[in-house]
Amino acid sequence: MTDLSADMPPSFKQKPLTISDQRTRARNAAEKRFRLYGVAAITAGLVFLILLVFSIISNGLPAFKKTVIAIDFKLTTEQFETAEAALLKTRVYSDYFTQTLTHIITNSELNLEINSRSIERIIGKVGGTLRQFYRENRNMLNQPVHFDLPAASRIDRYFKGTFSRDGITKENRFIQVEDLDLVDALAEVGIIQQVFNWQFITGVDTGVDNPGGAGIGAAVLGSFMMMIVVLLLSLPIGVAASIYLQEFAPKNWFTDFIEVNISNLAAVPSIVFGILGLAIFIQFMHLPQSAPLVGGLVLTLMTLPTIIISTRASLRAVPPSIRDAALAVGASKMQAVFHHVLPLAMPGILTGTIIGLAQALGETAPLLLIGMVGFVARYPDSILGGFEGPNSALPAQIFNWASRSDAVFVEKAWGGIIILLIFLLSMNIVAVLLRRRFERRW
Amino acid sequence: MYDIPPSTRSVVNGNCKISARKVDVYYGDNHAIKNVSADIADKTVTAFIGPSGCGKSTFLRCINRMNDTIDSAYMKGEILLDGQNIYDSSIDPVQLRARVGMVFQKPNPFPKSIYDNVAYGPKIHGMVRNKSELDDLVEQALRRGAIWDELKDRLNESGTGLSGGQQQRLCIARAVATEPEVLLMDEPCSALDPIATAQIEELIDELRQNYSVIIVTHSMQQAARVSQKTAFFHLGSLVEYNDTVQIFTNPQDSRTESYITGRIG
Repeated sequence: MTDLSADMPPSFKQKPLTISDQRTRARNAAEKRFRLYGVAAITAGLVFLILLVFSIISNGLPAFKKTVIAIDFKLTTEQFETAEAALLKTRVYSDYFTQTLTHIITNSELNLEINSRSIERIIGKVGGTLRQFYRENRNMLNQPVHFDLPAASRIDRYFKGTFSRDGITKENRFIQVEDLDLVDALAEVGIIQQVFNWQFITGVDTGVDNPGGAGIGAAVLGSFMMMIVVLLLSLPIGVAASIYLQEFAPKNWFTDFIEVNISNLAAVPSIVFGILGLAIFIQFMHLPQSAPLVGGLVLTLMTLPTIIISTRASLRAVPPSIRDAALAVGASKMQAVFHHVLPLAMPGILTGTIIGLAQALGETAPLLLIGMVGFVARYPDSILGGFEGPNSALPAQIFNWASRSDAVFVEKAWGGIIILLIFLLSMNIVAVLLRRRFERRW
Repeated sequence: MYDIPPSTRSVVNGNCKISARKVDVYYGDNHAIKNVSADIADKTVTAFIGPSGCGKSTFLRCINRMNDTIDSAYMKGEILLDGQNIYDSSIDPVQLRARVGMVFQKPNPFPKSIYDNVAYGPKIHGMVRNKSELDDLVEQALRRGAIWDELKDRLNESGTGLSGGQQQRLCIARAVATEPEVLLMDEPCSALDPIATAQIEELIDELRQNYSVIIVTHSMQQAARVSQKTAFFHLGSLVEYNDTVQIFTNPQDSRTESYITGRIG
């Protein structure tokens, strides 16, 4: 070494450490630039994330509130019988409610000019709810009952700030400026109020004439059922396939071929899986359309490659010394895998599974092809029947609402996205907790 | 005992435990072991020495068929354990490995408790009937691993939290827990400091009472200190195999002499 350094050029030897030369300055500048790029990239990402969260929350939160008319209502037996005998039964109930509201307003201290058309216009769809209540609770007849019944959808939007007085013409048969004056006065005395919209969370989809009553409960249930199908099928199949391929299968051209194809399948567009599901499960196997079972099967096909790839990666990451240790004390290959390798790979397998499930949860395209975008306005009758009966799914329901014309449905679509994200977040929290539980050092 | 010069140490000439007959091993196209034949005595420490890549670890791994786990490895010839060919198709390698224990270069305890590390082998082989028998067996194995006194109060702690030397002795205890007849050690001290190495070497000398021990080592001093027989491998061939004293004082082959005097390797 000493001989070598003696041959070096003198400039290289006697370099003061305090003064950086040209080359060092260039290298330091390059490093600084690279750090700046990194910070800029992260900042840009954060800005977009904040924008996204902000727009989702500001657009979606109104869906969790609704405007109701809160009054005490009394129905006599006589009125009940008249209504049940009528041709348009819910219409008669609505009229009773209008009468009661008019009565309350006239008898109150408010000095308002009452226009019965106005009152009719500010009331939403109440007849059906009233009829159902009194058919089920006849003992409540002839006594005052407190009701929170929905106001008309424009009134609802007026309170949420997405509808204003501007541009209301005299010809508009849905709303007039004087209606809004009446509504403002009623809001002051508490007859009209905004309450939390439980119906949005627990309810089912409604027709286009009643956007205020639409709920996402059935779609959440449909998604949940699909996730159960996906989890029950893809986790055991995926993990078994990965363990076999990684630990037991001979390494030859055939297993290489399978491996390449699994990687390719992970990149196949989801709509391809949708049309495959349509051809195989519905047209060939004659499984019911629009059913969470079929949706779950299609999503299983889609999730399997993700789970297999991540499971194999986490099996590969277990140090071979652990396998050697187990084999050397006389464990069979299967004992080595199941007693030692698999527990160590478990956190990685869980992460992969949750990523796969999260992908499946948000997938819309394959569901369109197997008919899970239909109008589903009721909950399934039984748990098992729910798997093969028609149902919707969260993303399909959101897609459906977003394509309807009424602005209230678009607001519901944003609200649905919040529910979807909460669903996703809780799945991730479960995954993190499970990871913690399984994580070990080696 | 390390102060005793090798020439004065007696060699135990026990029965032949393992005999290799014309063993050839290939890794794909690579001919790793070339026509090796050797008899290994019972209750003796046999050292395999030689430069890196000479095939000594490969030969060691043949003795408990650990090379079966390498897909490209392929073996010819036969290895007899107590007169029985371990490469016979009727032999189950899983049972063989319970009789031929192995300790690896890098300590590799399971990421479980110390107790579970030692108890794993006896459990899967059904060697015990109940918990108290298992407790006794674990204690006995840890005593033989010369680590019982240090660890008896920490049996529920993780095996991976121990120091390197303790981990390696734990691995030795784990290997002896299945009551093997042969103990293979693949450079057991290469990851350890001199004090831990001395402890392991002392342990190896004690283990000789009950087992046939084969140790692969890069350190010629270690081979001289712990072994009674030494085999020198070079480029896949067994060059010389004799009493340790003979190898280190009077090598017959010029390559052996070059290696032990530090001119090759």
